[in-house]
Amino acid sequence: MLTLGHYLIVSGMLFTIGFAGVLLRRNIIIIFMSLELMLNAANLSLVAFSRFRVGADGMANYNAQVFVFFIITVAAAEVAVGLAIIVALYRARQTTHVEDISTLKF
Amino acid sequence: MNSALLPWFILLLPFLAAVVIVLFTRRWPGLSSFISVLAVLASFAGSCVVFATPDIQALELTWLDLRPVLYVPLGFVLDDLTKTMLLLVTGVGALIHIYSLGYMRDDSGKARYFASLSFFMFSMLGIVVSNNFVMMFIFWELVGVSSYLLIGHWFERDSAAEAAKKAFLTNRIGDFGFMLGIMMAWVATGSVVFSEMHQQLARITSYPDYLTVAALLIFCGAAGKSAQFPLHVWLPDAMEGPTPISALIHAATMVAAGVYMLVRVGFLFEASPPALWVISWIGTITAVMAALIATQQNDIKRILAYSTLSQLGYMVMAVGLASGQAAMFHLFTHAFFKALLFLGAGSIIVMLHHEQNIWKMGGLAGRLGITFLTFLVGTFALIGLPPFSGFFSKDAILALAYERNRAIFWLALFTAFLTAFYMLRLVVVVFFGKPRSDRARAGREAPWVMIGPLILLAIPAFAAGFGFVARLFVQLPAEQETGWLVPGMALGATVAGALVAIILYRNRQAEPIDFAPFRNRFYFDELYSFLIGATQELLAKLSAFIDRWILDGAGIRGASTATWGIGSLLRLFQVGNLQAYAFLFGLGIVGLIYFTIFR
Amino acid sequence: MILLFIVLFPIAAALAILLGAPARRTALWSSGVTLGAVLLAYFGGFETGQSGYQMVTSFPVSSDWKINFTLGIDGLSLMMLLLTALVAFAAVWFTGEIAEHRNAFYACLLFIAAGAFGAFASLDLFFFYAFHELALIPTFLLIGIWGTGNRQLAAWKITIYLATGSFILLLGLIMLYQAVPEAARSFDIRVLQKSAILIPASAQGNIFLVLLLGFGILVSLFPFHTWAPEAYASAPAPAAMLHAGVLKKFGLYGLLRLALPLLPAGAQEYNTLLIYLLLGNIIYVGLVTIAQKRLDWMLGYSSVMHMGYIFLGIASGTLLGTSGAAILIFAHGISIALLFAITGEIRQRTGTLVLEDLGGLGKLMPRAGLVFGLAAFASIGLPGFANFAGEVMVLFGTFRNGANPEHFSIYQIATVLCLWGVVISAVYMLRAYRAVFMGAIGESLGGVTDLGRSLRVPIGFLVAITIWFGFFPQTFVRMVTPTFKSYFAAAKQ
Repeated sequence: MLTLGHYLIVSGMLFTIGFAGVLLRRNIIIIFMSLELMLNAANLSLVAFSRFRVGADGMANYNAQVFVFFIITVAAAEVAVGLAIIVALYRARQTTHVEDISTLKF
Repeated sequence: MNSALLPWFILLLPFLAAVVIVLFTRRWPGLSSFISVLAVLASFAGSCVVFATPDIQALELTWLDLRPVLYVPLGFVLDDLTKTMLLLVTGVGALIHIYSLGYMRDDSGKARYFASLSFFMFSMLGIVVSNNFVMMFIFWELVGVSSYLLIGHWFERDSAAEAAKKAFLTNRIGDFGFMLGIMMAWVATGSVVFSEMHQQLARITSYPDYLTVAALLIFCGAAGKSAQFPLHVWLPDAMEGPTPISALIHAATMVAAGVYMLVRVGFLFEASPPALWVISWIGTITAVMAALIATQQNDIKRILAYSTLSQLGYMVMAVGLASGQAAMFHLFTHAFFKALLFLGAGSIIVMLHHEQNIWKMGGLAGRLGITFLTFLVGTFALIGLPPFSGFFSKDAILALAYERNRAIFWLALFTAFLTAFYMLRLVVVVFFGKPRSDRARAGREAPWVMIGPLILLAIPAFAAGFGFVARLFVQLPAEQETGWLVPGMALGATVAGALVAIILYRNRQAEPIDFAPFRNRFYFDELYSFLIGATQELLAKLSAFIDRWILDGAGIRGASTATWGIGSLLRLFQVGNLQAYAFLFGLGIVGLIYFTIFR
Repeated sequence: MILLFIVLFPIAAALAILLGAPARRTALWSSGVTLGAVLLAYFGGFETGQSGYQMVTSFPVSSDWKINFTLGIDGLSLMMLLLTALVAFAAVWFTGEIAEHRNAFYACLLFIAAGAFGAFASLDLFFFYAFHELALIPTFLLIGIWGTGNRQLAAWKITIYLATGSFILLLGLIMLYQAVPEAARSFDIRVLQKSAILIPASAQGNIFLVLLLGFGILVSLFPFHTWAPEAYASAPAPAAMLHAGVLKKFGLYGLLRLALPLLPAGAQEYNTLLIYLLLGNIIYVGLVTIAQKRLDWMLGYSSVMHMGYIFLGIASGTLLGTSGAAILIFAHGISIALLFAITGEIRQRTGTLVLEDLGGLGKLMPRAGLVFGLAAFASIGLPGFANFAGEVMVLFGTFRNGANPEHFSIYQIATVLCLWGVVISAVYMLRAYRAVFMGAIGESLGGVTDLGRSLRVPIGFLVAITIWFGFFPQTFVRMVTPTFKSYFAAAKQ
């Protein structure tokens, strides 16, 4: 029987993989994809919560699912903006490696 | 002229002269000196009129009026004491103005000199006429400034600049006590006007300790101005000024202001026997000490300066022995003969092209005849040879001491012996024997504008002591019942001192005795500069250090440095690596979760 | 209306200069006209001996906040206006050649004057505060742009210091406003004075302390004084004159105008603390002054030291002492302005203010020597100058507070120590005078010239007025005592 715990463990693993990707990969596009992974991990846990938190009237709590739609929308917008920035950055610097883009410091 | 305005004219004319010279006629020294002399002569004439007018009153202005707390008028007290002082100050002052015409003839700062001299006359007259403590204090300090200006007349000389500063600062220390004493007396009696204080004296005599402290603090002021031990160090240095200044300010008038003040508020002192005791001993110590130092000095003006100190000591001693009359009598005669001596010394100095060392003089009796004769008159008056004026006034003080305090009497007698000794040493070395330098061989008599005042001063120096003359001007002290004993002893001491000096110094080429403590003025200057260095200078340096490095450094700069420091520490986190930021961010989130959920 | 003119005219002139009017001529004329207007207000119209505010003009600004632009003067504020007008006039006159941004320099001077005028004539707390801030900003600019030496650092230091002080002051004013019951609240100082009795005695202490701190930082009360010498040493002479002579006095004026009448119980409570601090000003800073090796630093410290005497008057708790403090404010403003003016001239000619390098200037600059001597003697409290009258009143007033022949209280002891400060001040002033003007002429000082003749005008004004008040301080006393009398009468009830 699949319980809430299983879903949350999968979600946590996805999140960790995404976070590790953000921290360890050097290519911005990969980092970006890892970020998406983290967002979707959160989505998974939200849907799971929605499914398992049944109220006294037997209805599922759909607030969380509405939240998921928001996240998907925002993620789509973010991808559009983020990729545009990455393309602009590549044109300016001829690179997509984060190690080469480190001027934002003292 | 309205007679209520006349005293104001006497006071203000010299002031006006000073202002006019400073503002308008600075560039014409001749005109400036003329204005100044004119002003002092007019003041002298006015003083004569005031002296001859009984019951004269003056207009009273308000300086500060916050009654009932404090009322300070600009008012005059015009009793016999003041009238005599007016006459003395303007009279001697006028002669010295005239003498200065000759002495300062070619000085580049002549206009400045006469402006300062007029300003001094103004302030000195102010002290004499003041009817309250605060007004007196105003002029008291103004006199200090004019003295500062005149001592520092040749300000480009380091020694003169230092001497001026020293004189002013020493007086300030005395004035610190004076002011405090004034405040104490004011708080107790509720007034600063002399006549009202006298009436309210009972309110202060019920606290004898308080009164004694107040009286002694007021005496501090007099000790500063009249150069009494331990504030005497400035007067010998003040001889750096032009010689007429030494005669007028540092012998005849200003230094006597302290004694005058003591007499003016004598009622305060006479209410406090302990204060009187201290004052009389301070006077005695000054008299003896200064006379001892004078025996070993070589600078002609310094010898006279120490003799002034010693004579002022006599006057203060008389005040301390509760006889203002005797003090005033001696002040009166001393003003003439000491001014005479200084002016005589001045004409010697100027004719020898500013040579002041007595061992470079010698044999001047023949060449400077009139100077010599008048100088001799002054000397005899000073050492108290009858019938010269000094004999009578000094005898009055000695008789007083004999009556009231035998110990002081013996010391005063010893001082009389020393006085005769050092004065005759001076006369013998300077006027007799062979000339000891080329300058002494070339000396000639001074011009008439300088000789004239000498002769005019020699007359009162001789005659001012006779009862029938003196009684016109000062209240003579009551005759003491000592018969011929005291005058006899005084005369004996004087003659003995004179003889010893003549025998010892006749035909000498150099100093036969060398006694370092006297020669080095008992090391007072060294002691004081050590004390100042050990206290004030050290404290000043320490405070400056604290201010710079601890208050401003650690406190203020510290605060700003700490802000900067924390900023630059935090700056180290800004590595510029995106993933590092992400890692820290994650770490922060984990920390946040830990603290919100598990704590 | 004349007050409105006095406050607004310098602002108008400053704006005109910024727009390109001939700088020096406009500034001189406008400051001269303002001085004339102040004298006109004094001689024609102002009634001496009255305690209330006169010539009151009021315009509503915001009825929601109950803020009105109200101007009015009593003897105390008239005295401050007179001081401002005189020093501003002299400061403009003493401005020498300005290498760059000439117009901006003169405009800054006029803005400072306008701010000071406004602060001293305002009867509304809001404008009282705002005008002072208006005057501070050009001060920072003057030091930062036209200063000498380590000017950036000095400008930053004074900015941060005074901004902190102003901020604390603002806090105090808000506390004061809040302490009055809601119905009686007002920004109007006249209304506040009437409702001051409603402030509970227990609340007064804290408010007074905050106000003392705020005003105290502005006046360089020990230990918040280290900004002053550095700033004055770096500032161009006219800025130093205006700040040390006038603007700094705002804090003292504020204490006299607000803290004393509104918070008598608070003043009582913290008097002892104030006396300890002002002894720091007089004795400690006095000693620091002795050790200074530069003329400008020495003067900066000396002005800090003399603030102690004014604080003593404020702490004295007697009519005599408080009136003396007011007179001392005026007298010190004039003398320090003269001293900084001459110092600026010396710096321009010799290029140095290190005491060791100077010397013998009395021969080369006799006029400067005379004026500096007069001002120096005035500032060390020589009789015949207004400073002496002020000091005497302050010292006598303090000494009398609770005087008892049996034993001395803190007031008497403080008086004795402060009196010793008079000796200390003579020591450093005469030393400096001796080092600068007396002795042998310093090397490399060969071609130094004397003050220009035209400077006689401002110097004459300043010297004449301080001597007049020195010999007749009663004219002054009549002006300021009615105000203080009403304070003490109110405090007794």
